[in-house]
Amino acid sequence: MARNQKRWAVAIAAPAVVAVVVAGGVLATSASADLPEKTPEQVLELAAQADVQTFSGTVEQSSDLGLPDLSGFGGAGAGSGSGGSGSSSDGSGTAADQGLSPESALELLTGSHEARVYADGSDKLRVQVLDQLAERDVVKNGDDVWLYDSSDDSAVHTTLPARGDASADASSGEATPGAVPTPADIAQRFLAAVDPSTDVSLGADTTVAGRDAYDLVLTPRTDATLVGSVSIAVDSETGMPLQVEVLARGESSPAFEIGFSDLSLDIPSAELFDFTAPEGTTVTEKALPTKGDVPEASAAHPEPVVTGEGWASVVELPIGTDTADLTSSPMFSQLTTKVDGGSLLQTTLVSVLLTDDGRVFAGAVPAEALQSAAAATPASPAE
Amino acid sequence: MSSSDPTAATVRSPRRALGWGFFLSELGVLFRRRRTQAMLGALAAVPILIAVAIRVTGGDGRGPAFLDRISQNGLFVGMTALVVSIPLFLPLTVGVVAGDSVAGEASTGTLRYLLVSPVGRIRLLVVKFASAVVFCLAATLTVSLAGILAGAVLFPIGPVTLLSGNTVDVGEALLRALLISVYVALGLVGLAAIGLFISTLTDAPVGAMAATVVVAILSQVLGQLSQTELLHPFLPSYHWLDFADLLRQPIDWSSFAGNAWLQLAYVAIFGTLSYARFATKDVLS
Repeated sequence: MARNQKRWAVAIAAPAVVAVVVAGGVLATSASADLPEKTPEQVLELAAQADVQTFSGTVEQSSDLGLPDLSGFGGAGAGSGSGGSGSSSDGSGTAADQGLSPESALELLTGSHEARVYADGSDKLRVQVLDQLAERDVVKNGDDVWLYDSSDDSAVHTTLPARGDASADASSGEATPGAVPTPADIAQRFLAAVDPSTDVSLGADTTVAGRDAYDLVLTPRTDATLVGSVSIAVDSETGMPLQVEVLARGESSPAFEIGFSDLSLDIPSAELFDFTAPEGTTVTEKALPTKGDVPEASAAHPEPVVTGEGWASVVELPIGTDTADLTSSPMFSQLTTKVDGGSLLQTTLVSVLLTDDGRVFAGAVPAEALQSAAAATPASPAE
Repeated sequence: MSSSDPTAATVRSPRRALGWGFFLSELGVLFRRRRTQAMLGALAAVPILIAVAIRVTGGDGRGPAFLDRISQNGLFVGMTALVVSIPLFLPLTVGVVAGDSVAGEASTGTLRYLLVSPVGRIRLLVVKFASAVVFCLAATLTVSLAGILAGAVLFPIGPVTLLSGNTVDVGEALLRALLISVYVALGLVGLAAIGLFISTLTDAPVGAMAATVVVAILSQVLGQLSQTELLHPFLPSYHWLDFADLLRQPIDWSSFAGNAWLQLAYVAIFGTLSYARFATKDVLS
């Protein structure tokens, strides 16, 4: 009997060892670092000075915005057997449609994604969005920009105009509409918004992608916004933002999270940036999108009107904004609810109201604030 | 090795030889079985059917990943067939082999004869498990090779476009196809360990086979539900379709490593459970 007990003890020990290893791994990744004391201002400065343009790493993004997971939406509708490939346009999709359609923007905002990012200076960038059994690539090498989508084997080629006017936003979301933005992009957007409306403090030191980091916490001073706090992990050596977490008011787990899970500051292999469309690919030559051509980037729309202040700002897109392609999408009716005066898209962080007369109101505020803003401004042409 | 066996030290070398001999004879028995051959034949039929269907219809329309590339490059037949086989066919065949491993001997009454001859129970388990692992590899290689051959016969073969849009030559593409076979086989090893454990619980091989297949399907169902998201990384099927990471440029090895660790954990847990169960079991048949 004693021998039998010993044998069963072995069988119990093995799961225990596995559990310890798993738990050890989890603890190791969330271990907190012990860094020299700094004030929030010093960390902000460190972040502002950050000049890391050469790196390769893996970026993970996950969202819990209270929206249904749409990653399989297009595939399921089209009857794709294995599903999950994220082919989200209805039938004749090319990378152009996929990269720029509202569906793909919504698809990127829901669920979770993983991307590999390679950068060498400001003129060489490659982003690979790793889908299951598929991949979407953005390759920028000098003035050449390629978008490649493996799920339908299509590519878009764009040549950037001469350096200068485009260089500032070439590395931001503008050039990579279909891709997951890097943590640096998002953090810089938030850092730019740091003003008297926001309380900036430091959380406990943290570790992201194996690097020690300061945790900069931005808390809105107003109660009128849905955003609870934004925390940015700033690399203690380079000042590079490593992770951004956005918490909704009253929530303890992030509603939106993007960060490096792996980062190397070595120069990526030059071959990575050599890209030409493979044989058999549908290639679309596209002129650089002019102002207003990027439908989901609200900044590119003609003259949006901003009311309210700071975190509680409400952006109004005037009549004439082309929302037909959005409202006709089958995804749209699934995501929105009918409210007084229009359709409401409600997430834990952002509300979007599409009024019946064609105006769009959006903001990190409760739905009531949008409705009152819509009621306050007459539906006259906002030219 | 085993302290329970006082003669182990004195007759070590002949017994080690016997171990290899036992393993090889076990493999011989496994692969000479009609049932095993029929299963491998059915697996080989998957890519052949796909290739013929695409050849006849022209390959338009929607289907599993890589399907639309077959008509341009026959090397994709094997990969499409793997995508099709991974959810059911491969787990089914592995479930049959692993579930039958011990229970099958018990049901035909050969288990006690095996144990009467100088074969320790641990060695028996290890050999049974090792043969199941060999079968996992044989099964995935069968799908892959049949696919490549069918593709080579029916379609042009040429440089392969990876998921990243980069192109590699045929040699490297074949190397990656081999890597993918190893990856998929590795992903089935955990299931084989689970099947081995279930097989030690019963004398009815059909029950053990069915239970193993049910485990594989249950794991995939749980993997589809967002409500069980916390469980997902621990499901044996979690990395199954990530073999596509080997088709990126550069290769994303993280899922290969993740797959290996996950399967190792399953082998550790269910291997020791099988040992505890089998070593304490009264072998009556």
